Amino acid sequence: MPSGALLFQSVILGLLLGGLYALLAAGLTLYFGIMRVVMIAHSAFLILAAYLAWWSHARLGVDPLLSMVVTVPLFFGLGVLLQRLLLARLRPVTLTMMSVLLTFAIAVLIEGLLGYAFTGTQRRIQLGYGSASLGLFGARIAVVKLIAFGLAAVALLTLYLLLKRTRFGWALRATIQHPDAARLLGIDTDRVASFGFGVGLATAAVGGTALALDTTIYPSLHWHWIGPLMAIIVVGGLGSVPGAAVAAMLLGLVQSLLQIPLGTTWAQTVFYLALFATLAFRPQGFFGGRLAQRF
Amino acid sequence: MALLLVGCGDDGGGSGSSDDPIVVGISLPLTGDFSEPGKGVQRGYEAWAKITNDKGGLLGRQVELKILDDQSNADRVVADYEQLIGKDNVDIVVGPFSTRLVVPAARVAEEYGMLFVEPAGAAKEVFAQGFKNLFYAAPAVADDHYNHLAEYLLALPPGQRPTTVAYAAMDDPFAQGTAYGLKAKLEAGGVRTVVDEVYPPNTTDFGTIAAKIAASKADMVVGGSQYQDGVNLIVALQQLRYQPKLAAFSTAPTSPEFAAAIGNKTEGILAPTGYTQKAPYPSNVEFVQKYTAQFGSPPEEDEANAYTTGQVVAAAVTAVGCAEQGECQQKLVDWIRGNKVETVVGPLTWDATGKPQGAHMIQQWVGGQIQIVLPTEAKEVDLVYPKPAW
Repeated sequence: MPSGALLFQSVILGLLLGGLYALLAAGLTLYFGIMRVVMIAHSAFLILAAYLAWWSHARLGVDPLLSMVVTVPLFFGLGVLLQRLLLARLRPVTLTMMSVLLTFAIAVLIEGLLGYAFTGTQRRIQLGYGSASLGLFGARIAVVKLIAFGLAAVALLTLYLLLKRTRFGWALRATIQHPDAARLLGIDTDRVASFGFGVGLATAAVGGTALALDTTIYPSLHWHWIGPLMAIIVVGGLGSVPGAAVAAMLLGLVQSLLQIPLGTTWAQTVFYLALFATLAFRPQGFFGGRLAQRF
Repeated sequence: MALLLVGCGDDGGGSGSSDDPIVVGISLPLTGDFSEPGKGVQRGYEAWAKITNDKGGLLGRQVELKILDDQSNADRVVADYEQLIGKDNVDIVVGPFSTRLVVPAARVAEEYGMLFVEPAGAAKEVFAQGFKNLFYAAPAVADDHYNHLAEYLLALPPGQRPTTVAYAAMDDPFAQGTAYGLKAKLEAGGVRTVVDEVYPPNTTDFGTIAAKIAASKADMVVGGSQYQDGVNLIVALQQLRYQPKLAAFSTAPTSPEFAAAIGNKTEGILAPTGYTQKAPYPSNVEFVQKYTAQFGSPPEEDEANAYTTGQVVAAAVTAVGCAEQGECQQKLVDWIRGNKVETVVGPLTWDATGKPQGAHMIQQWVGGQIQIVLPTEAKEVDLVYPKPAW
């Protein structure tokens, strides 16, 4: 029987991990919601942002968090371009399937370019507070994990307010719910969709920076992330940002707690078990309501 | 001129006349998955050939390498060795890089009755195939990497010896082999295992594994790790303020990037290593100096393993006095089986399966540098135990 201290520590670690998962999955569910695009390259963009954070710290001496001043707008722009120049050209009938192939190619391209530019050597941001931690009733909270969690909270809250409280958010949600009706109301759905895609990719810039704070990065790392992230957005309900957030927190917590009795290998399967259960019993997702209808 | 070349080619060194070079055939993964280590192995062989030739060659004959590229492909490696032995009629064959290519290559060499010394087959299965001509030219297989450390710890007085150990190993034959070799020896010596974690190679979060280890308050932590998992686990342990008396991790601490990756909180961390440029063996001093002159940077482990392979072959050829295909090969095999060879990684001997009978050196981060602490005859500084807080 694990001690209470270990359980408490694992709950804390699970919640922190879940927060990071939520941030990393947010963009992924948005793309699908906006235009039924399965964005395999999302995690490759996360790693790209992580490399840019590492590079700006190692070469320019800039705090990795400051790198977001450049990467967030840069990724927004890239997202808009990607949607306009490539994804918008796919035929609507085969869009979902073809987007898998197209974004798979983009992921491989990013991985190759990262390997070319930075070599396959594994990198880690060397922060003075990398191994610092705070005490909480006997448990420890790593400062870098807390910063990553804070970034996730701020980014997700911003995203939520953007979707709920702004004209752009209303237009985006209208585009998601009924593109034809949205067009009849005078919404430029193409423009809205490309901006929505940009917002999704901007979250990858934040997520990649958060990831880089506490992990060793290398060009092919994104393949380890895409599976769990896909599982999260399906369980959460495709297109639902709060659904993805709830699913991410829950799966992070369950994974962390299951690791105590079962070990790492089996605890990781929780993502795929949840994915199977969702597809079998509630294909629209457990937390997101009807497919892509709600935020 | 053309005739002369054809004549030489047909002869292929098989005649063993004193003018012909001794041709050494090698297939290497110069492209594909293993191309990085494959190129390192190639440089090691090239350094060996050059240093040997500069000293007058073997048996008064020059050494010539014939290297083919197997593209990291197990089918290609078989075809390459068939060609080297059957068609090109080389005198000697030596091994490629990685267990996956060593096993099929050794099978071909065995079929032709050729000696087969190889630089890269540390996994158990290499020695379970019943090969009679194979020798692994390195100090130890994975299970024996920590032997010197096990001996050291078990020789400590009972009051000082660690009593509990936490193990975490990647699910990989090499990484797991290193940790479990030490685990078996310490358990046999009465040291209790309190955590035994195995994690898949794609693990990205080490928080909970570290929490389990920290909660166990084990005296010592042992990581059967590669690079990135070793680094991530050490940082996760430091974040939880776990302070073991000893911390040993395979692979990661010997990497040039290690200190920067964990923010220089390295003091006291141990690692086994098969090769170090600083090892005082006489041939190693020569190797490091001449290799650096030839390639512009000092040799790493892959280069050293290939060089060691060359040294083992050279010792046998010199002792037996022949190098050609046929009966000579069996004499070379018999000689290596019965003798000790001095190499850049120390003296080597082998058991009947070709498994080396040594152990890895143990290095420790002392005073901001990684230094040899075990075995006693090779040490640069004393092992620091218990280790300082990290």
